[in-house]
Amino acid sequence: MHLHDLTIKKFHEGLVNKEFSAHEMAQEVFDLIKAEDGKIHAYLSLNERMALRQAEEADLKIAKNEPVGFLTGALMAIKDNILIEGLPCTSASKILENYTASYDATVIKKLKSSGAVFLGKTNMDEFAMGSSTENSAFGPTKNPHDLTRVPGGSSGGSAAAVASHMAVAALGSDTGGSIRQPAAFCGVVGLKPTYGAVSRYGVTAMASSLDQIGPFTKTVEDAAILFNEIKGVDAMDSTSSPQASEIKEEDLLKPKLEDIRKLRIGIPKEYFVEGLSAEIGSAVEKAIQDIKSLKVEIKEISLPHTKYALSCYYIIMPAEVSSNLERFEGIRYGSRQSAEKLIDLYKKNREAGFGDESKRRILLGTFVLSSGYYDAYYAKAQKVRRLIAQDFDQVFKEVDLVLTPVTPTLPFKFGEKTDNPLEMYLSDAFTIPVNLAGLPAMSLPVNQTKKDKLPVGFQLIGRHFKEADILGLGQYYEKLSR
Amino acid sequence: MAELSKKTLEHLAELARINLNEEAAQKGEPRPGEAGREKLLNDLQMILGHFGELQALDTSSVQPMTGGTNLENVLRNDENATQDTGKGLDAFPENKDGYLKVPPVF
Repeated sequence: MHLHDLTIKKFHEGLVNKEFSAHEMAQEVFDLIKAEDGKIHAYLSLNERMALRQAEEADLKIAKNEPVGFLTGALMAIKDNILIEGLPCTSASKILENYTASYDATVIKKLKSSGAVFLGKTNMDEFAMGSSTENSAFGPTKNPHDLTRVPGGSSGGSAAAVASHMAVAALGSDTGGSIRQPAAFCGVVGLKPTYGAVSRYGVTAMASSLDQIGPFTKTVEDAAILFNEIKGVDAMDSTSSPQASEIKEEDLLKPKLEDIRKLRIGIPKEYFVEGLSAEIGSAVEKAIQDIKSLKVEIKEISLPHTKYALSCYYIIMPAEVSSNLERFEGIRYGSRQSAEKLIDLYKKNREAGFGDESKRRILLGTFVLSSGYYDAYYAKAQKVRRLIAQDFDQVFKEVDLVLTPVTPTLPFKFGEKTDNPLEMYLSDAFTIPVNLAGLPAMSLPVNQTKKDKLPVGFQLIGRHFKEADILGLGQYYEKLSR
Repeated sequence: MAELSKKTLEHLAELARINLNEEAAQKGEPRPGEAGREKLLNDLQMILGHFGELQALDTSSVQPMTGGTNLENVLRNDENATQDTGKGLDAFPENKDGYLKVPPVF
């Protein structure tokens, strides 16, 4: 079995049929990382010793004929804002350069008990703020399909690791598109679960009313497997919902075609307007035509407040960022500058520790929350957020899923948008509304014909806690191409 | 909509406890501090200018959406889950007798 062919499912089958051992595959993947990652830079740190030991444990279970799940021995990469006890967790920031996690995130605890193997921590935009990984304090990740182009962000390292077979699957986080946009740019599957479906305990908080953890995989089937393992209510995250624990495994893993055929799909006209590149437009059109062959109902819908989502998001998110990033002052974590007074210590640590984009968003957030401006910006944005959420409530009365492009353009070149933050923000225009409304959505690659093309993704958005609808249709869509 | 002035930016930096390129200026580098602040101010003005579009929307009868969830009153028993200050302490850059060490406040 070649690493290129490995999915979670195939890895599991190969393991239980004793075609290979988890240890030898782990060794092979580390060899690949050492040979290739100098070019791509998907990983910030590797976890070879612990990973090989975890792989041996998986092999031992197989040898003893103990029951094993889909994730036993699965070779996974984890975004560097998710805590694994004893490993570095930098959030790609200088201010956390020397920080070692003192506990496991809930998702990590769950994956450990499922027997997953953690290969290392992946690169990202600093504190998950960016759309290209160019904001990483430790240098950008390259897109495996074209090394002159960005992999997307902020979870660019996780997307690139899976796309270049340096991991079978990965975890990322998505606040405004940080799983879906890099998944689209790298040609892999990325799922942002419903807000509250996956515990965020142990992920470095960016914008707490928007953040979600989710999987990167090579297939929709794998995304369903991984989501099934990490979902569920958690006492350590008061925003995680009991509804998450009610999502049924069989609905995720074994969708029935007769149920999928009943789904009605809406295409919002507001997503197919100026700014959408011709390549993306025609690729998404092709995906729509392919889905039509599954005999589902497709109709045009309207989400009238779509164009306000970007402004709304870029008020609410920095407001939450300015609050969440207060904790990084060099007192309790990370490296410390020297100063005679405490207040100067804060200022010096934060000046030296944060990159430009982090500073920009902290200042922007401080502004929109400050006295005299609060009503005009933050309070207004909260109302607009309600309108955007209501748009979706309205369309979900007549359709079950919404299908859109993920990004307005193909992966862009390094440096193309770094001078103009607003232009960078626009690359999230199609993913942001989903986070504002707290809905689940998945980016999956369009089945393209020519091999030399850059990947294009399309997005399926579902009702709250209806990941099964998205993953179900996605699984039948990917079968069409095989 | 309000214009963001240079003075307001300095005030925001003070509130957010961030020095803005002061070190570079102190080292006598050829005005990178000034240029950096100028760029930051321009970027923020541009972004705030974009937000102006929201004023066109009538939201007088809309209830604000204050978070990502409809869950209410998620409480747990008021008990200490652990007595162990444990490994969190190891992350402190400076500590003494199990306490965090900082320079004088005043």
